Amino acid sequence: MKSRKPMAIAADIVKYVVLIAGALFTLLPFVWMVLSSLKSANEIVQIPPTMIPREFMFSNYAEAWAEAPFPRYFLNTVFIATVTTVGVLLTSILSAFAFSKLDFPGKKIIFSLFMATLMIPGEMLLITNFITITKLKWIDTYKAMIVPWLANVFYTYLLTQFFSNVPDALYLAAKVDKCSDLKFLFKIMVPMNKNAITTVAILSFIGSWNSFLWPLLVTNSTNMRVLSHGLVRFQSEAGTKYQLVMAASCILVVPIIIVYLFLRKYILEGMSYTGVKG
Amino acid sequence: MKMKKLMALTMAAVMGASLLTACGSGDAGTTTAAAGGDASEIQPVTITFWHGMNNKQEQSLTELTNKFNSENEYGITVELVNQGSYSDLQTKLMANAAADTLPDMAQAYNNYFTDYVDKVVALDDFVKNDYPDWDDILESYRTENSEYGKITGVPFNKSTYLFFYNKTMFDELGLTAPKTWEDLKHIGEVIKEKKDLAAIGYDSMCDMLEAALRQHGEQYVDETGALFNTAGGLETVQFIMDLYNNGYARLVGEDNYFSDSLSNGMIGGYVGSSTGVSYISTDIPGKEFELGVAPVVGDVKNAAYNAGTNLVMFSKDANKQKAVWEYMKFITSKESTLKWAMDTGYLPIRTSAYESDEWKNFMAQDITAQAAYEQSPYGFVSKASFTGSNEIRSVVSTTLNELITDKADAQTALDTLVAAINDVLE
Amino acid sequence: MKRKSFKGYAYLAPVLVIMLVFTAYPLVKAIFMSFCENYSIINGSHKGINLENYKDLFEDKLFIRALGNTTLYVAFVVPLSVVISLVIANLLNSNIKFQGLFQTLYFLPYVTSVIAIGVVWRWIMNSNYGLLNYILGFFGIGPIGWLSDPKYSMTSLIIFAVWKSLAFNIMIFLAALQGISPDLYAAARVDSTPRLRVFFKITVPAMMPIIAYAFIMGIISAFKVYNEVFSLFNSKAGPVNNEAITIVYYIYDQFYNNYKYGIAAAGSVVLFLLIMLFTMIQRLPGRIKAKKEAAQK
Repeated sequence: MKSRKPMAIAADIVKYVVLIAGALFTLLPFVWMVLSSLKSANEIVQIPPTMIPREFMFSNYAEAWAEAPFPRYFLNTVFIATVTTVGVLLTSILSAFAFSKLDFPGKKIIFSLFMATLMIPGEMLLITNFITITKLKWIDTYKAMIVPWLANVFYTYLLTQFFSNVPDALYLAAKVDKCSDLKFLFKIMVPMNKNAITTVAILSFIGSWNSFLWPLLVTNSTNMRVLSHGLVRFQSEAGTKYQLVMAASCILVVPIIIVYLFLRKYILEGMSYTGVKG
Repeated sequence: MKMKKLMALTMAAVMGASLLTACGSGDAGTTTAAAGGDASEIQPVTITFWHGMNNKQEQSLTELTNKFNSENEYGITVELVNQGSYSDLQTKLMANAAADTLPDMAQAYNNYFTDYVDKVVALDDFVKNDYPDWDDILESYRTENSEYGKITGVPFNKSTYLFFYNKTMFDELGLTAPKTWEDLKHIGEVIKEKKDLAAIGYDSMCDMLEAALRQHGEQYVDETGALFNTAGGLETVQFIMDLYNNGYARLVGEDNYFSDSLSNGMIGGYVGSSTGVSYISTDIPGKEFELGVAPVVGDVKNAAYNAGTNLVMFSKDANKQKAVWEYMKFITSKESTLKWAMDTGYLPIRTSAYESDEWKNFMAQDITAQAAYEQSPYGFVSKASFTGSNEIRSVVSTTLNELITDKADAQTALDTLVAAINDVLE
Repeated sequence: MKRKSFKGYAYLAPVLVIMLVFTAYPLVKAIFMSFCENYSIINGSHKGINLENYKDLFEDKLFIRALGNTTLYVAFVVPLSVVISLVIANLLNSNIKFQGLFQTLYFLPYVTSVIAIGVVWRWIMNSNYGLLNYILGFFGIGPIGWLSDPKYSMTSLIIFAVWKSLAFNIMIFLAALQGISPDLYAAARVDSTPRLRVFFKITVPAMMPIIAYAFIMGIISAFKVYNEVFSLFNSKAGPVNNEAITIVYYIYDQFYNNYKYGIAAAGSVVLFLLIMLFTMIQRLPGRIKAKKEAAQK
């Protein structure tokens, strides 16, 4: 190893300072959420607020847990988020492949129309979609919470960008080898873009995990509700029990962190190279 | 090039859709009620009730409903469905009104259904034939539920705006709870001078304005526009602007509600919902105080703003309508409304409940209930049965905020408010 | 040369079917609604097909303000967010200690509950006891009424929004960085090219499709900003009178609170056209370059 210049060391120091400061700043709300969940009812409204709870009220968790049928909500949410994620990955991979490597009539127009659908706020589509679901007689079913989310332009477009980075030559070579398109897609394209696909999986899972209004609209029975519906149980027209909302939020977040850590480990395992060596 | 094609396609799609949907003006048939009053014929049935009650309120509602389900003689089962918060409930009802899949009954404010009042079952016949003591229900609630020219609902979870104050601070300064506008000004002066704090704040600005107008013998708004562009209206606005311009009152600003400010000794008192009392903390270390609760002030008249939803019926089936009515009778009975009020902090809806021994005993230990009782004869509910009523609420609140921030004079404030309201209704 | 065939449609079929039903159809319906005077979502009735909604829309001062605010928001939030995320993603991807830990820390805001984030930022930006004013106090600045003074509403919103969008951009940039072939860097290392030069000559070009993605998606979602306003100003659109109102906030309010469905729909169509315009302008430089290159050949 060659001796390092003072400049490089200074650059390293700057790098760590920026990273640590940034991490603290981005982490603040998360830490706040955890600490708030342990405050008493009178401490949570205290002005100016305290950072560390005077007394750790672990009972908030028990109280929040008892307010709604969380175990059932949990099962519903896991099921919906998993199926939606797997489904949306599949449809997005297929369509991203079509957009990046296949040529077909009307491709540009269809792609533009795809993009155009993103440009109208979802709030405008809600009621019409609700009526569609009613007509399909899907109210109070898992289908209603999964199927409309199986197509996602955000993810399709993201994967298209990644797939188009894969040289066409590779695809042509596979063709010469009489490798079918599907085989090429799943044996070569997908493994090559494992990072991107895992990222999409995480994004989709979180999106589905946190969705609130749509599942509320299309379900009528408590049995079909999801975790995010547990959060509004602590609000009323006159105020919000923030310590309980925070406790419930913490309960809500733990599974996602576990999924993230699991998937992230999976990404890193597959990598032989971890970055620019300085 | 690509975009041009896209535009052409979009336009074509729009025109196609117009052709398809233009003929589709839905029928506006009014949902009619079955002839009420012959409960003997009710067949066993399950009815669905959508509500937005959480926590202890939901608990109490569940207990009451279980009692009804097990005790009613017709085999009626009421199924409670929690729909989140009020705004979630409002959105769900709108969507289901559009899809024509409304539940048998629901909690609702009158301004939820301005657009689909024809889907709300008229209860006039039920009341006439099968509700012996309708007059026992407080007048303001009866008026509210008749606003649309038919009886649209029965009152359910009712609250009122009260004056919550720091009694420790008031005692220290030799003050008592204000009864009149003059009292309020005096208190504002003293607290401003001695503590350099505002004496009062209002959680809801539009409700404050309407209450003040009524207290001064003026009218507020109806479907034709603002009704307070009068000498009395100017005096009312003058009174309000003076409170703020002199620092006797302040806006809620960055906080959610004034309950936090009161808990922290940062304001003398505030006017807020009677159900908000559970959000006031009187025991923050170093800031402990005794809470006082009083009726809101009056001027030439007394007027207190009431809030809270009603129960409305949507069911189209005659048998279900009768079943819903049985439940409505049960939930608005003296016994139910008393239990409900004592469990939740909402108010009884009947005079007989207010006058009962149970309530008197309850009031003896509950200062909020006591204050609410004192002002119950002066309650009013804001008119909401016209298009734009909801928008006026938010427009009045934001306009008042802005006028107060700008320290506007009374005439400017009045003109701006009137113009803003009339603008909505144009 | 690739051969044109209809095979692509087979791959697109699942997405196309779902989008036709759940996106295209309601979208077309919304466009139709925008031309209906006094449209009722309840029974589909209206007073006639005309441009009344658009007229009302552009006569509404609040909508004009929403247009201005949203444009300002997009102009600041998108570039700031992309640049900052790019720098952080690069640092996270360099050979630092505790790389995994850092990556997880930067990801956590993405999972934190929206309610919690709103509460915390209202605390950070509180004029009396907020963290931000406390820090600025050391430099003799302030106190500033971030959330109480209408002058600062948009600034506060932009700061909050940049923060909030970082986690997503960092995640996709990291995925892209980790996908760059090591061979590209190996050559540079042999030449001992300065790091900054490596960044601009190798990293940025290799990431161009993803940077473009982040820009376009950033613009689209920034134009549709709603939750950020709602959570920062505590279910209002500004401290006093809608100082930080955005187009979607306006649309939502008209639809769900004021029941003016036609005007809400017209607002959506205007937003639609605006986003389209911006994404076109954004793509222009690339296209001009491509044309020039084609002309030179």
